[in-house]
Amino acid sequence: MPVEVILPKVDMDMETGSIEAWKVSEGDFVKQGDILFEIGTNKAVMEVEAPASGIIRNLVPASGEPIAVGTPVAWIFLEGEDASDTPPPPAAETAAAPQAQQPPASPSGEAAASTAPASNGHPARALDSGVRATPLARRTARLHGIAIAEVTGSGPRGRITEEDVLAHLAKRPAEPAPVAARAPAEAPTEGELVPFGPVRRIIASRLSESMRVAPHFYMMAQIDMGALQALLKRVGPRIEKAVGVRPSLTVLLARVVAGILPRHPMLNASVEGDAARLHPTVNIGIAMERDGDLVVPVLRGAEGKNLAELTREFGRLREAVANRTIQPADMRGGTFTISNLGMYGVDSFTAIINQPESAILAVGRTVDTPVGRDGQIVLRPMATFSLSSDHRIVDGVTAARFMADLREAIECPEVLI
Amino acid sequence: MSTLTEAAVESAVRELTYAEAIREALAIAMEADERVFLFGEDVGVYGGAFGVSGDLVHRFGPDRVIDTPISELGIAGAAVGAAITGMRPVLEIQFSDFVTLAMEQIVNQAAKIRFMFGGKAKVPMVVRLPGGSGTGAAAQHSQSLEAWFAHVPGLKVIQPSTPHDAKGMLLAAIDDPNPVLIFEHKLLYKTKGHVPEGDYRVPIGKAAVRREGRDLTIVGSSIMAVRAVAAAEKLAQEGIDAEVIDLRSLRPIDFDTIAASVRKTHRLLVVYEGVKTMGIGAEISAMIAESDVFDFLDAPIIRLGGAEVPLPYNPVLEKAAVPQEENILEAARRLARGEA
Repeated sequence: MPVEVILPKVDMDMETGSIEAWKVSEGDFVKQGDILFEIGTNKAVMEVEAPASGIIRNLVPASGEPIAVGTPVAWIFLEGEDASDTPPPPAAETAAAPQAQQPPASPSGEAAASTAPASNGHPARALDSGVRATPLARRTARLHGIAIAEVTGSGPRGRITEEDVLAHLAKRPAEPAPVAARAPAEAPTEGELVPFGPVRRIIASRLSESMRVAPHFYMMAQIDMGALQALLKRVGPRIEKAVGVRPSLTVLLARVVAGILPRHPMLNASVEGDAARLHPTVNIGIAMERDGDLVVPVLRGAEGKNLAELTREFGRLREAVANRTIQPADMRGGTFTISNLGMYGVDSFTAIINQPESAILAVGRTVDTPVGRDGQIVLRPMATFSLSSDHRIVDGVTAARFMADLREAIECPEVLI
Repeated sequence: MSTLTEAAVESAVRELTYAEAIREALAIAMEADERVFLFGEDVGVYGGAFGVSGDLVHRFGPDRVIDTPISELGIAGAAVGAAITGMRPVLEIQFSDFVTLAMEQIVNQAAKIRFMFGGKAKVPMVVRLPGGSGTGAAAQHSQSLEAWFAHVPGLKVIQPSTPHDAKGMLLAAIDDPNPVLIFEHKLLYKTKGHVPEGDYRVPIGKAAVRREGRDLTIVGSSIMAVRAVAAAEKLAQEGIDAEVIDLRSLRPIDFDTIAASVRKTHRLLVVYEGVKTMGIGAEISAMIAESDVFDFLDAPIIRLGGAEVPLPYNPVLEKAAVPQEENILEAARRLARGEA
């Protein structure tokens, strides 16, 4: 059966992509791993490799127009497959006349005729219908915009499981990493090469991009956490009783930040061309870890939610992250991010801004520290907060005012009432 | 240590057998409510075929612990009548197999009356049914017929697996204003476990997660829940992390707990002693397949049920006809390793 070449999903929230340029021509022999075309997303242009070796046909024109992810853009006919038999037409975003669409040729002509009698189907559908895959594998493939037929199954009678889909995803580099991918063959002494998973790819590209476009500057403040700790102790059990989840320091900090951010519009803004977009709501992203990858679910409309509501929502997001049911919608639309690594014993650190936001707050651990109070040295629970800001729209004084408000609100949370 | 503390510690570690826990529940209910009475073959002087009622006849007298003639139809019919008049009968069907003789009264009368009289008559009766195989009692004394009754709207069907639940669920069943059937596995009667003193309830219709795990979900009730937990501990040593759900109640069934678990583990093994075909496993599998959890299945569901034969007398064959711990282990391994 010919192998379909689909427009891959190379970015988490990507729904369409475009073919910028083909690197091969109709009828060329391509080897697995060869660069086939350049795919354009709203963030970058990347190269897409051949999923198999064979003769490539039915190329969708490189128009630069948006095409839905998962759409077949070409077919690779394997050795021995007669391309002239029933060439599977690629489905461009403007669907060709349906009657012209035939199921792709199968290695044996009769089988094709008997297994796919209804030639009204979309090629991808016709291919998928004969594939053994678990419901979860199909769902995972759907979420990542890959055709299930592309995946090699490891289960009984070739059944495809979720693990196979994930392995397939990890194998399919969408960024131009072929040089690195081939390195181990030439220099096997260099150690194991761990290919980027889809999430790691996004992290790598987004954070590199952020460092490139946003001139970061950093501002630190040591803040007394005593009042916040007391507040958490007092209201924690009540909120837990009400919503079933105990509020964490992180969610309390989200509440505090949401309370002061409306007074600092440039820290709740995005650069758009030569302008700053001031966001009408405060959507706080919380940096979390899942299986070694960074994920940032978003507490939406945080300025209008009380601590109990935020706690409940945070609990839902944390569970969805752990259960891998987190939806792209839950991670979109952040306007400010908090990253708390205090629980790992980190004293302080600086973070890279999560584009297109303009600032990120990095929180270190709370540690009893000798400080001067009224001429005495006393031990106070202190934590170091580091704000990274985008100097294109946030100046030093702007950030310093935010930090002053942050200190006041943390040391005297009553000011938020 | 003060006496009070000693008593508290004693209470916290107190262990009873499953049979003793049921007897204690019966005694508590009879002491609290004079409408409660026991009814059945040999429940009085003999103390019950499996010794469950024990000395209750001496404590509460033959008017409240009533030995009946050998007529399940008569026992059940009299109990339905007594329940309608406001009594709280607890009857024992000596072997659950004999319930076939009482089907008319349980299925056509007890289950229907509240509906057909628009709620003006109620049937608050409890039927205790010792069931299951493993005692060498052959085909007419070893069946697991609970699925038959779980098919009938108007009945509640419970299958506690521990002494703790047996006591708490029986007390909940006696409270219930509707007919409740409690299937007690004969092999569980001698098993021991912690049973709190005094009066407490374990709600009907709520499953218990006996062990949390990530790799697969094993659902069972009664002795199958016990075997599943034992199997899960062995699986853990092999690196397979199984979640075990003790259903406890077949009707109403706690689908939410099963669904949440399968959504997490993506694999489901249903274990039950009743004959595999048209049984509990079919129902649970279908519920999952019909729900949005379908999309989270990463392997076919496995049903492990009783063999399609009348239960053999030969002890080797009897054992082979019903899921044992080894069978659960083997099925769970296939499921977890992607060989199913």
